[in-house]
Amino acid sequence: MSHIDIALLSFPVLLVMIFLRIPIGLAMLIAGIGGSYFINGSFLMIFAQLKNLTWGTFSSYSLSIIPLFLLMGQFATLGGMSQALFKAAETWMGHKKGGVAMAAVGACAGFGAICGSSLATAATMGQVALPELKRYGYSGELATGALAAGGTLGILIPPSVILVIYAILTEQNIAKLFVAAFIPGILAALGYMIAIAIYVRLKPESAGSRERAPYSERFRSLLGVWPVLIVFIAVVGGIYGGIFTPTEAAAIGAFGTGLIALLNGGLTPSTLKASILTTASATGMIFLIVFGAGVYNAFLALSQLPQTAAAYVGSQGFNPWLVMVAVLVLYLVFGCIMDSLSMILLTVPIFFPIMAALDFGLTPEEFALWFGIIVLIVVEVGLITPPVGMNLFVINSMARDTPLSATYRGVFPFVVTDIVRVAILTMFPAITLVAVRLLY
Amino acid sequence: MFDRIDRAMRQLAAFLAILGGLALVAVILVTVVSVTGRALLFVGLSPIRGDFELVELGTGFAVFAFLPWVQINRQHASVEILTMNLSGRANRLIDVIADLMMLAIALLLTWKHWEGTLDKLAYGETTFIIQYPIWWAYASGLAGAFGFVLISFWCVLLSARALATGQEQSHGEMQH
Repeated sequence: MSHIDIALLSFPVLLVMIFLRIPIGLAMLIAGIGGSYFINGSFLMIFAQLKNLTWGTFSSYSLSIIPLFLLMGQFATLGGMSQALFKAAETWMGHKKGGVAMAAVGACAGFGAICGSSLATAATMGQVALPELKRYGYSGELATGALAAGGTLGILIPPSVILVIYAILTEQNIAKLFVAAFIPGILAALGYMIAIAIYVRLKPESAGSRERAPYSERFRSLLGVWPVLIVFIAVVGGIYGGIFTPTEAAAIGAFGTGLIALLNGGLTPSTLKASILTTASATGMIFLIVFGAGVYNAFLALSQLPQTAAAYVGSQGFNPWLVMVAVLVLYLVFGCIMDSLSMILLTVPIFFPIMAALDFGLTPEEFALWFGIIVLIVVEVGLITPPVGMNLFVINSMARDTPLSATYRGVFPFVVTDIVRVAILTMFPAITLVAVRLLY
Repeated sequence: MFDRIDRAMRQLAAFLAILGGLALVAVILVTVVSVTGRALLFVGLSPIRGDFELVELGTGFAVFAFLPWVQINRQHASVEILTMNLSGRANRLIDVIADLMMLAIALLLTWKHWEGTLDKLAYGETTFIIQYPIWWAYASGLAGAFGFVLISFWCVLLSARALATGQEQSHGEMQH
């Protein structure tokens, strides 16, 4: 068997394990270790690597940003920032038709600016906004759909854990990726608001009304939002301005949100313990996948499969745009069943060299930024597509009186706006790249 | 007896996870002090020398320490779309197999990390700037690694018991 054959054979083996509910990181570790055994004829090489690889991955300076961003999101919740954001958004737009749902989406966007995780954003904003939506007579269908979709803004709007991973995998500048993510993130929030506006016109009974808040109350509500703004500017501005490294920025952000939580009484020994345990769960899960993907991808690189595939696709004269569409469709399909981080780690090392070998009329760096943002969006769509959409489960488990099937129906219009947005951003790379071109 | 061991295991996993979390808090504080020092160079403050080496030390310890907690609460990402249509018995069998595989990997990683620690000790390697011996850092990871082996072993027993008795096992605290 040639090395390429071994690598090709590892895909079905890996997929069978994954579909038999073997944890994805574990499955990748086993496939990677087994694969390198078949290529080298012994375990000597992989075992020698494992002496330093575990510590090397777990203590990686660039990956240390991940637990710090997760902790920052936890502290932001304890600091009451989710309430402050929702309150402000609600007093400004709550009186419009469908306005409270739009406010929930707006608050998710704001929270996404200080939180790098979609599940945390969905869970936090769900707690704050679901009771209010119910109070103003919004249907469970619309409320849970809007919040599940809004949660994806946690990842789409920087800082973003997935973009950090993509940056490491493809050796891109994290600051530039964050800048590139900004306009698509805003477009996502606007798209969701438009979806709500259309939804409540088609189904007027699904939204109640709320009285118009006086301007004095509106401006007062903005006062509660300033800590969010300061933390966001410090973190993303600091990274962009090169004042500190992304890891330093994440530490400062976690410190800032932690300090705010401490000052307003949200941070106590027991809430600190809960925040740490939640962060531990997510961090351990992410690092096992990152580690497993590292071992598996090292095996693939050893087999030369990614290079061979890239050379093959590059020499066939395929239409680059058709290949792009095929890749995006594949992501959308897999997104229905797999989590976004695993998908990025499994596919980017193979797809990225293939796609980079095609000519989209962009410089290599611009291509990497554009492809990263598009892939980020399509894998995030997977969080809100049935049957396996983690955000749907998180929000639905909080809205006890709404059946899961209603949440599935409610999120449909938001998925449509996601697909429209992916199509637009794919056709016009300039939308994603304009901010980077202006700032750098 | 069984329940008492189970409680002890969960407490151990939580204890390690909290230690790891406190290490992260230390990482945050070190970084903030260092960045503040760098910003205030003109009043005579200075950054912490080799701060990034401390960040790596703290994060490495923390991630190792988190693994037992993830395992005992069954928080690893997995795909349930096909298995949710299988019978309870088939699923309990899959649990046993998955837990055995996790135990095998936990043993392998801990064994190799232990050897790596001994290597670093034998060569007397130190970090570049602070020059603390690297084997200290590696050894800090062993705490979580040993915990990971122990908890993975316990999870095999839990799954095997569930398979034998036909009862659902408790999946611990669900955290979001």
